Amino acid sequence: MENTFEVVKGMIAKKLEIDPATIQPESTLTDVGLDSLDTFDIIFDAEDKFGIKVPNDQVNVTTIQDVASLFDKLLAEKIASAK
Amino acid sequence: MANSHLRRVVITGIGIVSPLGNTPDEFFSNITQGKSGIGLIKADFVDSLDCKIAAQANFDGTQHFTKQQLALMDNVSQFALYSAQQAAIDANLALSDDDLNRTGCYIGTGMGGAKSTEDGYIRLYKENQSRLKPFTVLMAMNSAAGSQIAMHFQLCGPNLTFTTACSSSTIAIGEAYRQIQQGYCDVMFAGGTEALLTFGSIKAWEALRTLAKPDEVDPACSSKPFSKNRTGLVLGEGAAVFVLEELEYAKARGARIYAEITGYGTTNDGAHITQPSVEGQARAMQAALENANLAPEKIDYINAHGTGTLLNDATETAAIKKIFGEYAYKIPVSSTKSMHGHLMGATGAVELVAATLALTNNQLPPTINLAEPDPECDLDYVPNVSRKVDNIQHVMSNSFAFGGTSGVIILSKINDH
Repeated sequence: MENTFEVVKGMIAKKLEIDPATIQPESTLTDVGLDSLDTFDIIFDAEDKFGIKVPNDQVNVTTIQDVASLFDKLLAEKIASAK
Repeated sequence: MANSHLRRVVITGIGIVSPLGNTPDEFFSNITQGKSGIGLIKADFVDSLDCKIAAQANFDGTQHFTKQQLALMDNVSQFALYSAQQAAIDANLALSDDDLNRTGCYIGTGMGGAKSTEDGYIRLYKENQSRLKPFTVLMAMNSAAGSQIAMHFQLCGPNLTFTTACSSSTIAIGEAYRQIQQGYCDVMFAGGTEALLTFGSIKAWEALRTLAKPDEVDPACSSKPFSKNRTGLVLGEGAAVFVLEELEYAKARGARIYAEITGYGTTNDGAHITQPSVEGQARAMQAALENANLAPEKIDYINAHGTGTLLNDATETAAIKKIFGEYAYKIPVSSTKSMHGHLMGATGAVELVAATLALTNNQLPPTINLAEPDPECDLDYVPNVSRKVDNIQHVMSNSFAFGGTSGVIILSKINDH
């Protein structure tokens, strides 16, 4: 499966209509031009894409890598609970 | 003027999205040619409707807004913001930071982001999905359209949304006029917007049994205000937004002035949720005349509420007679709803565009489809063909509503004072 960071990068680039190459793991959400509303929108799309549910108390993310790591963690939990 | 200490308010910019064009000139050209914007509804749900006609706006948001903007705006906000943008360009507005602190926005709407609300319910109740889209609230809320306008122009004055059903936008414009008149603001964006042509909204209107029966020969002719064979109203969608300014402020920057708002009256029938009242409508017209300090005989044209329902048109005719007496028979009164349909929360603003341009062009738009005289509706309704008139000075625009809130605005040529 594609690296989660790459998936998130693609989603953000598509939403903001920017060059994906400008998005680095350490870029903050603000750096790339995402406000809090945009972030909720990305999370909404990611929930569909990954089949996960992001709890409200876990949406404290600053960098793009934070977002990717959060999704990875929830994906891992989902796989673990399915076993 | 009656209240000489009050500031004078003028219209300097107009923008519109309507079933008959998305510029004021196109709209006025179409209504003075007696064209109809009513037709078979273009929507995937049309077969499930009993009433398959409406006056749809021909508007493509992707031509005017970015994908990012569109993601946050229901049609109701797109119509309003595009109208406001036109009005600002038309008024040649360039507001400084100080100006922006004294510029507000008053918008009327009946149902706000009806489609966004409905899309949410479809997801939940029909598709059994567990989550709604994150922006549902921001698109559906009634105040969204006014907020989008304020954000776009960075307006820092008062921003209020008025919901009084079919009179919403007349009330918004009238209250904006008072805001300038009383010195709280120098400039106001004011108007109304409505985008309720959704499956659920139309079904709700069907259930109320107020919608017109489609004309058997030509659906475009289904709205027949003041005609004996009228059967009800035809729903429409769109928006109109004006730039209003304090007179001296407008003059100082050399603005082109369309007209002065000289009178505004608002009252409530205090009676029935749907049945209109002669007394209530008459009180609103009287209040506007008193506010303008004009004798009834000074009014040269009335743009009627004229919905095409049996009750409204007879009631409005009686109310006009009550206020204007014998002179009622000498005033041209027309219902442009015969052409653009009933745009609900936007209708008063769209009709005020018609009234403004009638005044400046000395040309009265007709009431089309007026084929059968009704003894209860015996005024001069400018039947079927528009009329050129000599230098008219004062025009009145009426808006009445379910819930009983009436709004009446009087416009005057600026050289009259």
